[in-house]
Amino acid sequence: MTSDPLLDGYRIPDGSCDELLETDGRPREHVRALLAALRRLGPEALTDAGRRRDVIFMQQGITFEVSGAGGERRDRPFPLDLVPRVLTAGEWTVIKRGLAQRIRALNAFVDDVYHGREIVRAGIVPWSLIVSRPSFARPVHGIRAPGGVYTHVSGCDLVRAGDGSWRVLEDNVRTPSGISYVLENRLAMTRLMPELFAGQRVRPVENYPSLLLEALQAVAPSPDSDPTVVLWTPGPLNGAYFEHAFLARAMGIELVEASDLVVRDSVCYMRTTGGLRRVHTIYRRLDDDFIDPLEFRPDSVLGVPGLVRAYRAGTVAIANAIGTGVADDKAIYHYVPEMVRFYLSEEPILENVPTYLLSDETVRRWILGRLHEVVVKPTSESGGKGVFIGPQASAEERADEARLIEAHPELYIAQELVHLSTAPTETGDGRLAPRHVDLRPFAVFGEQIRIVPGGLTRVALREGSMIVNSSQGGGSKDTWVLADGDLLEGLPPGLAAREPPRLPDVRYGGWHGQAQQQQQQAAI
Amino acid sequence: MHFAIRYVTRYRYDGDVVDNINALRIRPATSGRQQVDHFTVRLSPEVRQHRHEDYFGTDVIEFEVTRSHRELIIDASAHVRTEPQPDPPSGTWEGLAVPGYREAGGEYLMQTDTAAGHPLLAELEAELADARTPLEAVLRTSEVIPDRLEYRKGATYVDSTLGDVLDVRAGVCQDFVHLGLNLLRSRGIAARYVSGYLYTRAEPLGEAGDRAASVEVDTHAWIEALLPNAGGEPRWVSIDPTNRGLVGECHVKIGHGRHYADVPPIKGVYRGSAESALEASVTMTRIEPVG
Repeated sequence: MTSDPLLDGYRIPDGSCDELLETDGRPREHVRALLAALRRLGPEALTDAGRRRDVIFMQQGITFEVSGAGGERRDRPFPLDLVPRVLTAGEWTVIKRGLAQRIRALNAFVDDVYHGREIVRAGIVPWSLIVSRPSFARPVHGIRAPGGVYTHVSGCDLVRAGDGSWRVLEDNVRTPSGISYVLENRLAMTRLMPELFAGQRVRPVENYPSLLLEALQAVAPSPDSDPTVVLWTPGPLNGAYFEHAFLARAMGIELVEASDLVVRDSVCYMRTTGGLRRVHTIYRRLDDDFIDPLEFRPDSVLGVPGLVRAYRAGTVAIANAIGTGVADDKAIYHYVPEMVRFYLSEEPILENVPTYLLSDETVRRWILGRLHEVVVKPTSESGGKGVFIGPQASAEERADEARLIEAHPELYIAQELVHLSTAPTETGDGRLAPRHVDLRPFAVFGEQIRIVPGGLTRVALREGSMIVNSSQGGGSKDTWVLADGDLLEGLPPGLAAREPPRLPDVRYGGWHGQAQQQQQQAAI
Repeated sequence: MHFAIRYVTRYRYDGDVVDNINALRIRPATSGRQQVDHFTVRLSPEVRQHRHEDYFGTDVIEFEVTRSHRELIIDASAHVRTEPQPDPPSGTWEGLAVPGYREAGGEYLMQTDTAAGHPLLAELEAELADARTPLEAVLRTSEVIPDRLEYRKGATYVDSTLGDVLDVRAGVCQDFVHLGLNLLRSRGIAARYVSGYLYTRAEPLGEAGDRAASVEVDTHAWIEALLPNAGGEPRWVSIDPTNRGLVGECHVKIGHGRHYADVPPIKGVYRGSAESALEASVTMTRIEPVG
């Protein structure tokens, strides 16, 4: 391959499965057409498209905030790599079935945790572990979500291990973000590199907003055929505000903030210029803590007081349901394959990465002796924060990590290091190099579970790095699922991309809290 | 003992407020040694009440006053019968390690607030260090707290932390309970926060009848600790670190939780720029048993 300017110096890291080349160096069958198209274009076309991409993304505001070395915040374009990642129809079928199975089990777990606790009584998941999760939401104990659906939107992170098998690295059933990049990336790629799509049958992704809207309408507790669905954003200061606005516009629904919502007599309404309007489903993009100051953080000014009561009365669906965080906790993750067996009586299609809970002393000793080999994660962080990668850590860093674990073993899990697969990635000079990738497919659960083909492929742009988070030097790729004739789904129904009407700025004074201190003088 | 309880809370606002939404946890609990014969809440302005039982088993009443108002009155009445608690079990320290105990203790074994390294906390821990049984540790906890801290209203606030309380070496019953919970849990004893009412007159029913037996009190807080029981199920035992020792028939329980925030008597929010002034009174009257 050395004669090929595109692949000059393409060296696959030890232990990783490369998605472009077989072990013998020949291109894999399903990417040959793509590789041929890239060769026809040549390196100059790639660098040129890269420049156009940066200009367009900056203009459209598809940027994210990064901290500079001096701590200053600045926007930079979300780095879209110009080489799509390609999955075969057969591969996708396995992923899709595996995810649907897993999401059904996670949904059943959420329902169980807040009701009968069957899985605890069966001795599979310890109750003490559940109640010690910060995301265990006592206020929704005994509340059954409309339609029995809790995990309306999920974005589980998948990785491909050295042997080519797909594994679940992390579940995400709170408010996963990233779908807007999937849609934007596809749109950008069809404009920047239309030549790549020629002769390929790539399954479309643009029907996501309609799938989501259908799911949100399907769970609406309403006899009406036209329920009102809103998207609740914490506001423009939120890092994912772009996505909130994007999705609301694509679905043609109102983008609201807490001050636009009010609960009257156990029913949720939205303030409009024409008065109050009943809301049936709230797609909320903020944490449980900020939902209702009466039930969660009393200092929350973002919340809607009384919303949990309306939810308890069954008059409003909240997506995702309150309290789903207990299911995607990193310590609970360990038990998900058991959940699949327990709730569904099925064998898991997608396996976990081997994971160890460090509260057990024997396990902890064993892991502390292997810190140079394993990955350690805090159980209640996300976005790659606090992740310790043993093989890349210095002796000093390992000693620091060991001290952290010893101090609070229950706050950490250890995982075997997965050598993430690599995919060909443009390196800035028009040539390709293997870079580590993961995959976050997005599933929506209304009447049934629907998964958009592909998902967000995140790529660690730094050579050798396995941290794919955008906050830590990661980029993304357009993800293609190739269509087999018989798997091709119908084209999505067109969605009017109308601007939602602006809400009047109806704001009263702030909320005030009232609480009495318990104080009683000594008796007698 | 039989009690009539009247709990009246009045909020006055210096301007119009709307959307006044509240959750009340004030209904006495029904348990093996406590029976509620009667319970009503009257609200002014009069609005609909929504009842449910929360995660901890506490009865909750929620209501909202939507329209503009300048005063809110919550007027609750209850008739309750209580019985004394049986003698506490005196299981051993080893009894805390068995799976059955850990399971029953659950989340009440976990700290909700810490002040690790605080010198006063270390002193208190030292006082409990040589307790021979968990029961002894529990009883001593109810003694050392009033010994070392001053009961003083105004020394702390509704959301004071354990560190704040230890710093000022003073507090109210809520603070004493939080401190006691920390001490017990750090010894591996499951302990929970109890909210309720305490009848504070010890003398028998006077000749003058009901009036003489009426006392003005406040809502109160104490502790339930889970004690291992040799050859039996572990049992929750109530102690009162404000008044020392075991809880008797004069304590009327509303509910329990991990800490205050799980069982606040009244929690609410309203919209409007007005400030509020609060008046609250709890009147407890001992009444003759009927029949």
